[in-house]
Amino acid sequence: MKKSSRISSYLKSFSFRLYLIFSATIALLTAAFALVYVITESHGYRTTLEREGKLMATILAQNARLPLFAENRDALSLMAADTVRHSSVIEVSIKSAEGQLLTEARSRKEKVGETIDMEVPITSPGQMLSPEAALLGRPPSGENRVIGQVHLRLDTSGVRDQLNNLLIASLAIGTLFWIMVSLLCYQILKRATGSFKLLLAGIEEIGSGHLSTRVDLPGDDELARSANAINAMAASLELRELENLSLQEELLKAMKLEVQEEKKRVMARLIQTNKMTSLGLLLSSMAHEINNPNASIRFSGHMISKIWADVVPLLDRVREEEGDFYLGGVPFKTARTALSENAAKIVENSERIARVVQGLREYGVGDGSRLRPNLNVNDAVTAALSVLACQMKQNIQLKTSLGTDLPVIVGSQQQIEQVLINLIMNAMQALPNACGEVGVVTRFDQKSNEVVVEVQDSGIGIGAETMERLFEPFFSTKLDRGGSGLGLYISQFIVAEHGGRLLLVSEPGQGTLARVLLPAKAADASLGEVVAAKDHQHVADAIHEAR
Amino acid sequence: MPVLRAALIAVLLLLPLPALAYDILVLQSLHEKGYDEAVRGARRGSNATMRTLVLSDYVETDITRIIREEHPRVIIAVGERALAVAEKARNVPVLYMMALNPRIRQGVTGVAMLLDPSRYLSVFNSMGVQKVGVIYDPNRSGAYLRRAQFAARRAGIELITREVRVPKETPAVLESLRGKVEALWMIPDVTAVSPASTEAYFLFSQSQGVPVVTFAEVYLSMGGAVSLGIDRYDIGKQVGEMAESLLAGTPIDELPPQSPRKALTRTNDGVLRRLKISGTGG
Repeated sequence: MKKSSRISSYLKSFSFRLYLIFSATIALLTAAFALVYVITESHGYRTTLEREGKLMATILAQNARLPLFAENRDALSLMAADTVRHSSVIEVSIKSAEGQLLTEARSRKEKVGETIDMEVPITSPGQMLSPEAALLGRPPSGENRVIGQVHLRLDTSGVRDQLNNLLIASLAIGTLFWIMVSLLCYQILKRATGSFKLLLAGIEEIGSGHLSTRVDLPGDDELARSANAINAMAASLELRELENLSLQEELLKAMKLEVQEEKKRVMARLIQTNKMTSLGLLLSSMAHEINNPNASIRFSGHMISKIWADVVPLLDRVREEEGDFYLGGVPFKTARTALSENAAKIVENSERIARVVQGLREYGVGDGSRLRPNLNVNDAVTAALSVLACQMKQNIQLKTSLGTDLPVIVGSQQQIEQVLINLIMNAMQALPNACGEVGVVTRFDQKSNEVVVEVQDSGIGIGAETMERLFEPFFSTKLDRGGSGLGLYISQFIVAEHGGRLLLVSEPGQGTLARVLLPAKAADASLGEVVAAKDHQHVADAIHEAR
Repeated sequence: MPVLRAALIAVLLLLPLPALAYDILVLQSLHEKGYDEAVRGARRGSNATMRTLVLSDYVETDITRIIREEHPRVIIAVGERALAVAEKARNVPVLYMMALNPRIRQGVTGVAMLLDPSRYLSVFNSMGVQKVGVIYDPNRSGAYLRRAQFAARRAGIELITREVRVPKETPAVLESLRGKVEALWMIPDVTAVSPASTEAYFLFSQSQGVPVVTFAEVYLSMGGAVSLGIDRYDIGKQVGEMAESLLAGTPIDELPPQSPRKALTRTNDGVLRRLKISGTGG
């Protein structure tokens, strides 16, 4: 099977087809040359025979001139007999100019094939002059005078034999020549196509992806130049391949790096979210843990106040009766007022604790997305400030100017609080050395029917480059100080969700003004519109919701 | 007026008369280069007035009438045909030239076309040959052969002669000389030397290695060794001088036929070299 496949492959090969073409061409050429040679030679044989006959007849005519003139029949017979002995001559006859047969000779050979009749006139040379003409100086006339005729009959059977011999010899030589040249062609083609095979193998090797393969063909011929060109192409492809691999590796590395960075960021967000969730839970727990004792304290305060109110008349009478006395080391007169005040402070502070805890609960645990149809922005501001109260440093002066006739808006107090906490935190962090002023102003812009909340600081301001990227997610100038780069991004998202706008006006060294413009609730505004707006989710909603 | 016309015609008719008054009438057989040369020689040899008539331009009766009417003092016949016509003018002396076999009669003399045999014999002598073959027709060249035999004896040369009656005998006769001669003498005999048989002389010369001494230069190119040819101009001049003698009053009987006084000797050096013949003398 392998052998037949190899033979079939060889039969289809370029070298075999070339060999076939060469052999066929050589055979055709050899046959053509042999044919032309045989035809030419046969014609040449016949021509030679005719020429030979003509020559013999001419010689005979020349020799017979004088015997014919002298009518010497014996000499003519001898000449004819001598001529007829020639192998190709069958018959010789000599006639006078008058047609009289002077002699005739026949060969013993029988007529076996075609014959050629040859007739040559016997002439007296024109240059021969009579004595008188010679003496008169007459020039030779040059005209030959016919005095007789020689007739030869030639046998052409020899030509046929020679032709047959020539044909056989030509066939034999032609065949031998064809075989030799075919063998030579085979060897030459084998050598010539060897380079082709090398080239083809190299190309196939390179084509199969082995770009480091090189075709090694010696010399400076076309094939060698082709091999060099293919080698150069393979080298170029190999270089490109290496470059591609390198680029792929770099890309892969970059992608891995980016994925890692992204993973880190996502993890940071998850951690932050988790932290915030934990913080919320902590706050909720704390609120719960604080509210119970705080309620007890407030209750106790109230009880103390009520009791003290009931006890004071009694004690006043005692003091009147018995004079001043001491309670807890303090004179009753002083303690009477101080206890009332302290009891009031207990209640007051307890209520304050209750408010803070309520604020924390609402911030951390409450349903932040719950929209209030009548949200008073000032309440949100107050709540935010209460959350940030502990963040306020002593050198920071917080100035608030809350408008009294603000219309309500439709929105989430918790989300608005978050916005305000972000803005106030940013304002405080922008103050150099945590020293300066932070002002919070609320007002109503009747012209645009918007509630305006402005947070202004006397901080370092924001540069133009930073200003352009302020609302990008994860962009922060305070990453080293715990900034996440999401504050303004989320704040803008929340404000936009409420149909408002968040504007920042700042110049380096001139402080920053953050302005939140929220549309006031219209008289016929429905809650559905706001709810519909909430349906538009954002990537930051997860974080937002978590809070 | 008719009288005047007649007188004018008469004057015109008489005008050529002075031109017709000449001494020698040259009768030329035909327009032939050799004849023209001889005639030029005759004019050179004689100061007499001449008129030349070419026979091929006239019929014979006109020639006879012209001779009778114009009364030339001497007729020079150029060629045998012209000699035959001139002989009919019985009372006018005739000088012939360029006639190969002239018939000599009273009142006719001239210069033959054959050189004196002694000239040929001297050539043979100079070539150192003793036996010379000659083929001739006794009817044509018998007299010449007799003179040649006489001269040969005096010169110590043996002439081996063969007679032929018809031209076709020449090849066979030549074969009879094979091995017997040291040279061949080709004499201008139309029977012995015909166009068809001329070749036989030179084939014989080639096969036998003997030189052929001939009478015309044209044969040298065919294989002749030496030629002693005539000078046609000098023959004419010789005849002109004879005519001058006749006109001066010398009787024609005192002027015997003469042989050409000048011979033109030519040799084929290749043949002589091949035959190893050194001196040709002549």
